[in-house]
Amino acid sequence: VSRRRQLSRQVRIWLLLSPALAIVGALFLGGLLLGVVQSFGYLPLIGRSLGSLDAYRAVWRDPAVRASLILTLRTALVATALSSVLGVAGALTVRATRRGRRLASLVFQYNLSVPHSVGALCMLLLLQQSGLASRLAGAAGLGGGERSFPVVVHDRFGWAIVAELVWKETPFIGVVVLAALSSGVQELEDAARSLGAGAWQRLRMIVVPLVTPGLVATSVIVFAFSFGSYEVPFLLGRPFPATLPVVSYQYYRDTDLNARPQAMAISVGIAAFVGTLVVCYAAALDRFVRRTG
Amino acid sequence: MSKPVRRLTIAVALVVAISACSSTKESASPSTTSGVGVSTTASGAAFASIAAEVRGQTVNWYMYGGSDTINAFATGFVATTLKDKYGITLNQVKVGDTVEAVNKVLGEKQAGKTTDGSVDAIWINGENFASGKQADLWECGFVKDLPSAKNVDFANPNVVNDFGLPVEGCESPWQQANSALVYDSAKLGAADVSSMTSLFDWAKAHPGQLTYPAPPDFTGSMFVRTAFYDTNGGPKAFLGKFDAGKYQPAADKTWARLNDLKPSLWMKGTTYPQTQTEVAKLYAEGTVAAYLTYGPGLVGKEVDKGTYPKTTREAVFTDGNIGNISNIAVPKNAAHKAAGKVLAEVLLSPESQVEYFKEAGGFPAISADKAGPNFKRELDAVPVSPSVLPLGELTKNALPELEKAYVVKIEQDWKTNVLQK
Repeated sequence: VSRRRQLSRQVRIWLLLSPALAIVGALFLGGLLLGVVQSFGYLPLIGRSLGSLDAYRAVWRDPAVRASLILTLRTALVATALSSVLGVAGALTVRATRRGRRLASLVFQYNLSVPHSVGALCMLLLLQQSGLASRLAGAAGLGGGERSFPVVVHDRFGWAIVAELVWKETPFIGVVVLAALSSGVQELEDAARSLGAGAWQRLRMIVVPLVTPGLVATSVIVFAFSFGSYEVPFLLGRPFPATLPVVSYQYYRDTDLNARPQAMAISVGIAAFVGTLVVCYAAALDRFVRRTG
Repeated sequence: MSKPVRRLTIAVALVVAISACSSTKESASPSTTSGVGVSTTASGAAFASIAAEVRGQTVNWYMYGGSDTINAFATGFVATTLKDKYGITLNQVKVGDTVEAVNKVLGEKQAGKTTDGSVDAIWINGENFASGKQADLWECGFVKDLPSAKNVDFANPNVVNDFGLPVEGCESPWQQANSALVYDSAKLGAADVSSMTSLFDWAKAHPGQLTYPAPPDFTGSMFVRTAFYDTNGGPKAFLGKFDAGKYQPAADKTWARLNDLKPSLWMKGTTYPQTQTEVAKLYAEGTVAAYLTYGPGLVGKEVDKGTYPKTTREAVFTDGNIGNISNIAVPKNAAHKAAGKVLAEVLLSPESQVEYFKEAGGFPAISADKAGPNFKRELDAVPVSPSVLPLGELTKNALPELEKAYVVKIEQDWKTNVLQK
């Protein structure tokens, strides 16, 4: 009897999930499939048919794409590294706060609901040469006016892009780390301390293993998101070199329909890269959990 | 697990862009006013039957939404006229770039949606018109049935051809776009703006105060074509089909000149704004002192609002200025095709053409000679801001657009030879 009840429970769960899954499946996988098909040159509207790798070859030869690869990887990596460090540091600080801990965690998480595009516009108003930071510095008698303010928006490195991503993703990582730290860690640490473990030992033996899976998971998500982000590098970056999503959209915006397969080829490339990364991460996490658990 | 899924969905959203949804607000309420003003001339008979079937419909008009003044004209005068005269509700759908609207129609056609499409009309420019024609997206042959088409000068090459491509009744004229240089007369003198050469000389003496949006931005592309004309003795040699033999040496000279100018541009030419809106913003905050525009009529409003300095003036180079006519296209698969055509008629009517000039400084696409003395009188009576050049000066020496093949090649080669250098 209990087995049958369990089975019907399973069925019910899947039934309840099916509308959501159908939408995700149809829109997400359908769109992905359409993108893949178009990247192989399938555009019946202008009399092109399937089965050519031309778009991938053209994209690979394009200097805009080559320059973009380095830029995209660099901004995504730097943003992920910085927000991981700051996120963990922030979580540890909030945890150590005795009084007003609730307020501290609220302040730490205030921007989770602000969209990236809004963040990017704020960075623009704040950091460009005619921006607020430059004017405040000028008013305070620092530097010699707008033109001497360091160029961090529309710059070659992509500092403003990194700044926006770090601003937005640090709390995201912090929240996950904070959650990992709150589940009985204090008791474990107290037990370790009573057995004579020092601060460094406690950090290495208790905090790090507990925090790692969540931290790695969120940083993979942050990296994947940063790599595929469009609005932030569009608003804060350059037309060349631009990040891969921006280059893809430049192709997509081309009034020549023959450029569509190239746009799709880049997007498929981004999806494949990020997808592979997530699969590798899942495998690595699996091994980690099995080893430590 | 829901968070990673959501994040990944965003990461790959570019691929799914085709399924982007429209912000259509269906709020069609049947109008109670009677259908007046529907012409019953020879061509009017066909139009009268069109107008009869649209009552109570909503027309989804996709248009570039970057100008508040034009948006106000659309949701004000145009929406009211559509409602009062034809019982149509206007749903203006703003896009950042016209190609987005074309992509939407294209996506629908690819998905097999040959009727009931969500785009009923598009404010379209030559390049996007051409790509739509390439994919056979447009409803053709309807323009001659519009009562107001009698005021259009069909001998004007800019009406017959759009960026070199025969129009063939597949789009209805809306407005004339004549390019002009917008500049701050407190910073540049009349001699500095007389030609592209003198402008570039001024820029070299005053580095960092000139820029243009990176093509394929519509206006940025025009800036580069203006330089292309100016470097090679005007457009005459390049009219007609693309000729690689003529193009290559002319293009090389143009790139050399633009690269020579580069260090004197905004941000030392290491980068360019991505949109014309950014350029206008740089001018408004005083970073940039001059820029080329396709919408010289709009500048007066910016000065009135206080966004631009009072010393703002306009000029056209003595060698002439690029001009074109932008149009309204109706997709074949539109759900409200007839309503789209009625919108085209409303925009083409003399009343609307005058009102558009009055409100937004957009220049008429109809011929003043054909539309009659009343139209001309009303047009002349519109007060023109001292910052804006009169229409006569803007059209005196208008230069034609090149065929799309040239335009695309110039945009692509600019990228490789100027932007990426």
